[in-house]
Amino acid sequence: MKRLFGVFVNGLIVENPLFVIMIGLCSSMAVTTTVANGIGMGVALTFVLVMSELIISLFRNLIPDSIRMPIFLIVIAAFTTIMDLEMKAYFPALSKSMGVFIPLVVVNCIVMGRVEAFSSKQPVADSTVDGLGMGIGYTWVLIALAVVRELLGNGTLLGRQIMPSSFSPMIFFVLPPGGFLVFSLWMAASNNLRRKLLAGKKPEPTQDSCCTLPENGSAEKA
Amino acid sequence: MKRWQMIKLGLILAVYTIVGCVGLAFVYNSTSKTIAQRLEADLQAGLREVFPEATGFTPTDKVKSTNPNIVFDAAYTANGPSGSLGIAVKVHGPSYGGPTTLIVGVSTDGTITGVKVLENKDTPGLGANAASSTYYVDKATKTTFPGQFAGKKLTDAFIVKKDVIAITSATITSRSITNLVQVVGKAASEALGTAGPAPVPSSQSPSAVLPSADTIRSSSKPATSSLPGVSILETSVGTRTGTIVGAIAKAKAKSYDGDVTVLVGISTDGIITGVQILECTDSQGSPILAPDFAQQFAGKKASAPLEVGTNIDAVSGATFSSRGATALVKATADALVKALAGGGL
Repeated sequence: MKRLFGVFVNGLIVENPLFVIMIGLCSSMAVTTTVANGIGMGVALTFVLVMSELIISLFRNLIPDSIRMPIFLIVIAAFTTIMDLEMKAYFPALSKSMGVFIPLVVVNCIVMGRVEAFSSKQPVADSTVDGLGMGIGYTWVLIALAVVRELLGNGTLLGRQIMPSSFSPMIFFVLPPGGFLVFSLWMAASNNLRRKLLAGKKPEPTQDSCCTLPENGSAEKA
Repeated sequence: MKRWQMIKLGLILAVYTIVGCVGLAFVYNSTSKTIAQRLEADLQAGLREVFPEATGFTPTDKVKSTNPNIVFDAAYTANGPSGSLGIAVKVHGPSYGGPTTLIVGVSTDGTITGVKVLENKDTPGLGANAASSTYYVDKATKTTFPGQFAGKKLTDAFIVKKDVIAITSATITSRSITNLVQVVGKAASEALGTAGPAPVPSSQSPSAVLPSADTIRSSSKPATSSLPGVSILETSVGTRTGTIVGAIAKAKAKSYDGDVTVLVGISTDGIITGVQILECTDSQGSPILAPDFAQQFAGKKASAPLEVGTNIDAVSGATFSSRGATALVKATADALVKALAGGGL
């Protein structure tokens, strides 16, 4: 149980997919202009991540090594499409405002990275918990980014006017450069906290070798 | 051995794919109905928004888009308690971040009844404000960007930052939506038969540019222009009680990025009696079809220079088209003067 908890909190700060592993940045920059989009994208990715890790971990002994990538993609694409259809049916406004970034979850490196590095080698329970931890780690970062960007860039939170009407929205924060600035400031804060958390502890060998995989670096553009 | 290995891998991949597809088929089956209902409900709500007093909508295929980039997805006649109220068109066309879909309502009296943004993929916080119900281009009256089109006459210029208020920092979005509204407005007004600034067929109009004539007959000798690129399509002669009082020509030439066609009337003493701009296919050139522009030419001497900026005012937003049309009017007038002087018409 303690081990599972360790796997879960791993994704929140210590191995946060966005701030530490630094994968899947593109869509996180694009959708965090409003908090509603950030929450929607976070939940969507968490769903795909948990389900893909669960299924792949379940079948990990039945997946031949040489064709594991296409099989991972089939599983991920299936869950992404399911989630896309469900969102279109039951959350049409959210689905519309996120546009192309929902179908693009298929090629989100966080999903591919975790499936390849973790769930293809770990038991089902660990994989599911890892997906949940990584998904929540991703979601909180999106919300943190979106709160700053929507508040300063638009004067609203979740579409409600927060700033007084005399406040002139700073459009800079809605545009990509502002996104990068907010992202870097949050990353500095988060990584400072991470260093404090790890201080005193022995550099523990993490169960996966995710950060050293060459795919992650090159796949970052996706 | 190696081939068997490959076939085996292929079969394994096929099994995973089939399982995935079957799963998707089930989800698709259970959601497709809901998705279709949502889209239909969106469309109905949008139609009601632009025609609140309509009792029903019947699909029509009378409205055709004149621009290949702008696609009319569906068109409906709005039925009121006493006959048709107008036409509502669901239209999509290019914008900054991808296609934008609108519903535009055009009433039988030649005004826009309303515009509703169904889909817009432009920058959130900037262009996406086009679809926002809380972004006002006029805070005092709480007018949204699409809201400002309600009640707008089709004879207006539809130029962003002139008679259309732009969304701050989203000029491209503002322009593309304005353009969509105008294209729908024109097509719908043609279908409704309420021609606003629509080109008047030349067969009806020659007498308007040469009011002194009581009979117009086609000329036995066509006028020709010495200028390259100017083609005179039709030449007619106006007579009053048998005497020639003037001549009329329909001419066409290249303008900014399209063609402009004009009808010029001239009296025997070399005065331009009237001008009509029949057609202008320039991308931003339609404002010169407004009668105000053509009226400037009446009464000018054909021998005098006609220049935009000195004695002809350009239509704002369509300077190039104004210049093109002016040069064509001048060339046509010169050709007519020559033809009248040469006799034998």
